[in-house]
Amino acid sequence: MKRSVLILTLSLVFVIGISFAALGYQEAPQLAELVQAGKLPPVEERLPEEPLVVELIEDIGKYGGTWRRGFTGIKDYHAFGRHVYEPMLRWPRDPRDPVQPGLAKEWEWSDEGKTLTLYLRKGLKWSDGYPFTTKDITFWWYDIELNTKITPAPHAEWVIDGEPMELEVVDDYTIKLKFAKPNGLAETVGLAFHGNQWPLGFERFGFFAPRHYLEQYHPTYNNAVDYSVFEEKVFDYNTERPVMTAWKISEWGPGATRLVAKRNPYYWKVDSAGNQLPYIDELVLTLFEEIEALNLRAIEGGFDFQFRRISLSNYPAFQLNKDRYDYRILLWPDAVPSKLCYFFNQSIEDDGLRNIFQNPKFRQAMSVAIDREQINEVSYLGLGVPRTFTVVPDSPYFEPDIEQLYAQYDPALANQLLDEIGLKKGSDGFRTRPDGSRLEVTVEGMDWDKATLDEMELVVAAWNDVGVRASMKTMSREIYWIRATSNEIQVATWTESRAIDPMVDPIWVFPFDERSWMAPAYGSWYKSEGKLGKEPPAYFKEMMALYDQYKVTVAPDKQKEIAKKLIRTHAENVFVIGTVGMTPNVVVVNNDFRNVPETFTTDWIYMAPGTLDPCHFYFDR
Amino acid sequence: MIAYIVKRILGMIPTLIIISIITFIIIQLPPGDFVTTAQAEIAASGGGMDASAVEAMRIRYGLDQPMLVQYWRWVSGFPRGDFGYSLEWSAPVWDIIAGRLGWTLLLSGLALVFMWLVSIPIGIHSARNQYSLGDNVFSFLGFLGLSVPDFMLSLMWLVFATMTLGISASGLYSPQMVDASWSLAKFLNLLNHLWPPVVIMGVVGTAELIRIMRGNLLDILNQQYVTTARSKGLVEKVVVRKYAVRMAINPMISVLGMQIPKMISSSIIVGFVLSIPTVGPIFLRSLITQDMYLAGTILLLMTVMLLIGNFLADIALAWVDPRIRFEQ
Repeated sequence: MKRSVLILTLSLVFVIGISFAALGYQEAPQLAELVQAGKLPPVEERLPEEPLVVELIEDIGKYGGTWRRGFTGIKDYHAFGRHVYEPMLRWPRDPRDPVQPGLAKEWEWSDEGKTLTLYLRKGLKWSDGYPFTTKDITFWWYDIELNTKITPAPHAEWVIDGEPMELEVVDDYTIKLKFAKPNGLAETVGLAFHGNQWPLGFERFGFFAPRHYLEQYHPTYNNAVDYSVFEEKVFDYNTERPVMTAWKISEWGPGATRLVAKRNPYYWKVDSAGNQLPYIDELVLTLFEEIEALNLRAIEGGFDFQFRRISLSNYPAFQLNKDRYDYRILLWPDAVPSKLCYFFNQSIEDDGLRNIFQNPKFRQAMSVAIDREQINEVSYLGLGVPRTFTVVPDSPYFEPDIEQLYAQYDPALANQLLDEIGLKKGSDGFRTRPDGSRLEVTVEGMDWDKATLDEMELVVAAWNDVGVRASMKTMSREIYWIRATSNEIQVATWTESRAIDPMVDPIWVFPFDERSWMAPAYGSWYKSEGKLGKEPPAYFKEMMALYDQYKVTVAPDKQKEIAKKLIRTHAENVFVIGTVGMTPNVVVVNNDFRNVPETFTTDWIYMAPGTLDPCHFYFDR
Repeated sequence: MIAYIVKRILGMIPTLIIISIITFIIIQLPPGDFVTTAQAEIAASGGGMDASAVEAMRIRYGLDQPMLVQYWRWVSGFPRGDFGYSLEWSAPVWDIIAGRLGWTLLLSGLALVFMWLVSIPIGIHSARNQYSLGDNVFSFLGFLGLSVPDFMLSLMWLVFATMTLGISASGLYSPQMVDASWSLAKFLNLLNHLWPPVVIMGVVGTAELIRIMRGNLLDILNQQYVTTARSKGLVEKVVVRKYAVRMAINPMISVLGMQIPKMISSSIIVGFVLSIPTVGPIFLRSLITQDMYLAGTILLLMTVMLLIGNFLADIALAWVDPRIRFEQ
């Protein structure tokens, strides 16, 4: 955190806050009615002393309207959850900026990065009007995160050298987080990414929970209930549970076919004119079991703003119908390094294959054997970007020279590299292992959509063309996932995102855990600190050591330096082979739906579109 | 007759017990369990859950217990009307399916009525005018209906209604009607969303029933007693309606029992494609996510519906046909 920027932002917020106090705040007409009727305190009392002022994307909005969306079921919590992204500290809208204030208005490092002091906004209130204080943080830490009945092990960013952090409550609005060593993950992973109300659907991470409501359902405080009651009450779909978000789920239950969320009268953000947010009255999410049915509803203008679950293959149909149904189409690049990526498993049991896969020249050859332009045309309507598997231009770690590293189409170079490492071509046109035995690799994948399977076929054919006998196998996700994480797949495929800040969850950068399919067994070794899996070779150990160093670095500049080094090493070694990335999301936006930018890189780590502040989207009617 | 009914009902109990065991085993057969599926699904949509969280979830849901214990936990609740807990919805199974069971029964029932109303007159017409133009046209349409699968018809209707007619085809109401209070307009809107699935579900069975009705009636019209009736000078109408059709209808009743499972599986597919809240979509999802108590209960309830359907068909047959009644 640059202190000057921090001070500047804070003083600005403070000045604006003061001027509002003088000007007074405005609120939605329906809330004004409730205030008139005496059912709700006036807006000045509902807002905190210093409400967060949302930076407008277009204009100051108008109150009212229902935001219609579609989703695919209870597991699709993100269809709602990402529009109510309210953590302790916020990811910035532009990923190159530092982390921004959220529920905490400021924060301060001391003790050489071993203590972090958080200052909450005074007067924050839960959606039922009860004050939000540091007690809601301690409740989460002691009764959820450290309770092994609920959380088997606290999240890694809060455990430094095997020691969980210690909390020191100064008062209702000030809390100190103390670590055994400097904590480089606290701001980003801990407070911006995981800093939400626990548990965020099925993710089961967070930083606070409504103590005043949950205590009565927690077995520690109430002998009469068990943990299944607690899980039910703490869950995001519970319509009684207080929240800190712009909208609160008001209609949802067993077997329901739609989810309704209504405005939170105690929401703590305003626009630059002092209007309490959100502008939009309610969100209605309709459940669709079938993705195509959801897409059809979108084609006929049934949604006001949505890109989740909209298929790129329907892009032509959207273009044909947009004027008839009065909506516009935006193409927002997804922060995927590559829509489909290929992991040569460097920890595979087969010694012969492992030696080949561990050779960087082999992976480079496999990468340049692929014609990415052709894949872009065949599978992605020419709308993607042929590129190396690395971070996207919006990432703070991006360096232009690595984006096309080994991404050129050059079968001659591929053949030359393969010859160099002793994989001789036989009379049948296929290569053998250095010991003369048959070389054959199986590329495995899930039963993806047609575009993705087409791409897989093209890649497998390209590898056969340079003499590496390859075949492809697809299966259902359940079977595939188990095979991949248990180190059984030779060449795994997947859609990886995390291309803006992969350091948050660096599973594709180096073997981080069993989900790092370039070497799942080495990943398990790293995650379990050597107890499980296999010991990795030196080049991976170096990367693991670098990341260990990243974790205990608090200075942003130094952190960035380490991350850039890791990203560069990853690209140069082609640990993952990518083809066509940054494939666009088809964004369907109603013509009168405003405060939506023309372009935006979406990433799940950044809770897209959460950082656009959906609370200030509005209908211009 | 009463002894017959009681015997049949008692006979259903062991069948149900065996079915509940088989159901439970089948649901446990695929590799992995609810938790691994959840982990994979969340990862695919861009989330992440680590191995320790997965293990904790497994313990919380009791998935680490032996299968026998899990089975007992499920069935022991039945007498109390407790069908277990859905892992995915975090809610009792019965609460989830109770509302949807009604729509399933309504759609299936309407589809059965539709099948009967359409197939009997056509079957009679075809048999009486064998190889006429009408017979050939209906046979052609019948075979077309038999050969186009229901999901295809649903998709075709969805695309046709949305793209060409510009009307909403999925769900129970048009989007603007969902929140409206009950009125004639809303009721008509509901009917407009109900008849396509009913017709789609009925089409396949209709073709089959037409063939059965036609074949049977043809057989009977060639039998000696019909010839006798005709030669004695009975009006053709009476010959057909009073003598031939009453005999030919018996197989239609037995087939009714067999149509019920088809209607149920069809309601799953049609409900899924047209987003209609039958138990179908939930059943499919619960199978995919391995939400075992929910899937098991739905499977079990379907079996019960099948048994009851067969039972009712048998009684109806006994009631219509004195020969069966007297045999008991």
